[in-house]
Amino acid sequence: MTQVPDSRHMTATTATRVLGTVALVAVVLMGLLGLVVSPADVVQGQAVRMLYLHVPSIWIAYGAFVLTSFSSALFLFRSRHRHDGGRHHDRLAGSAAEVGVVFAGVTLVTGMLWGRVTWGTYWQWDARLTTTVLLFVTYLGYLALRRLPADPVIRGRRAAVMALISFVNVPIVHFSVDWWRTLHQKASLSVGRRPEITGEMYWTLLYSTLAVTIVASWLIVHRYRVIRLEELRDEEALEALIASRLREDEAQA
Amino acid sequence: MDLSPRHEVEKPGELRQKVHRNRRRAVLAATVVLIAAAAFVTAQGLRNATLFFRNVDEAVEQRPELGDRRFRLQGRVVPASVDSESGVTTFQIVHGCVVASVRHTADPPALFASPWIPVVLEGEWVLSKVQTFAGIDTHYFLSDRMLVKHTNEYASVNEQRVSEKLPQGFFNDCPFEVPAADS
Repeated sequence: MTQVPDSRHMTATTATRVLGTVALVAVVLMGLLGLVVSPADVVQGQAVRMLYLHVPSIWIAYGAFVLTSFSSALFLFRSRHRHDGGRHHDRLAGSAAEVGVVFAGVTLVTGMLWGRVTWGTYWQWDARLTTTVLLFVTYLGYLALRRLPADPVIRGRRAAVMALISFVNVPIVHFSVDWWRTLHQKASLSVGRRPEITGEMYWTLLYSTLAVTIVASWLIVHRYRVIRLEELRDEEALEALIASRLREDEAQA
Repeated sequence: MDLSPRHEVEKPGELRQKVHRNRRRAVLAATVVLIAAAAFVTAQGLRNATLFFRNVDEAVEQRPELGDRRFRLQGRVVPASVDSESGVTTFQIVHGCVVASVRHTADPPALFASPWIPVVLEGEWVLSKVQTFAGIDTHYFLSDRMLVKHTNEYASVNEQRVSEKLPQGFFNDCPFEVPAADS
């Protein structure tokens, strides 16, 4: 008879199933708005549709890296006060970084495709593009560090320090278009400034940001639970090993 | 109770240690590759990113220092100046009330056709007397690579054609007349 896993051994709950369904519907609607309802741009034509994935992706990547840094800081400075030794913060930092890297990758790919159509080239080493690829590579390094075999607490501390160092690049990426001359255009939406994007395109961009946020939240929750399950698997394997040794000793006695 | 390692469990333990060691080496190698990639990216970035292009007014002012060195030049294309013959596109670009004449020897990107589009050109100054709509110039810019620098403005095709308008105040106080887009 097949064993049905209990809820402790699953990544889905009723809440995340609802969130997943909402995310799916939101993405379908985003596709409709971005590809059908919103108009072409007066200069770049259909290429503008890439914007509805490109811009929200980098915003989500920023948000995910903020969450990674915040959780890492809590792991470093507040873990002693927690019954689990701060592993919750460590897991949250790791899962957010994974999702952040995915969306930073999406940003780079969509940006390159857009650049080929608009600029006439896939890639240029201007300040925005260079700092963005550096951000991507740095957080890939952070994820590699998390995979190094070591004591979980020591590995968590090393990763947390790396996360805080890596975060320095986030504001550099964002403000690079203001600090240096770049091929990449300046931000079209900024707090306290009139948007440089009009009508349906503006609302589609805002809606896409909401849809991508829901998807990212769903992904982070699931990745968090997968990391927790991996830890649980290791702990149970160790417990089983100790138990078998105890049984062997009892049999010998 | 004896939980110290025994001979029987040492063998799988050794195997685990070996796997552990190999995995650590693989991850360390991956980390080294990533650090090398980051260093490469930084080096490329520092070389190119800080001054990606010179605007027309700066490039004209810096002609003696630039000589025949290759650099990137940025300005808005004057629509009425565009002409194409035998694979060579000639046009004028303007920035900061300074105009430069350009001979471009490669295919321009599709968006080049948009009026007053900002472009970044790669090439060098060539000594030759040329006529621009701002007067006579002593050099033209010979370019073999063009990138269209899209602005941060987005507007629907159904709305007013913002691209055909010049940015507000772009030609304020310039000592010359600006030719209209359809002239």
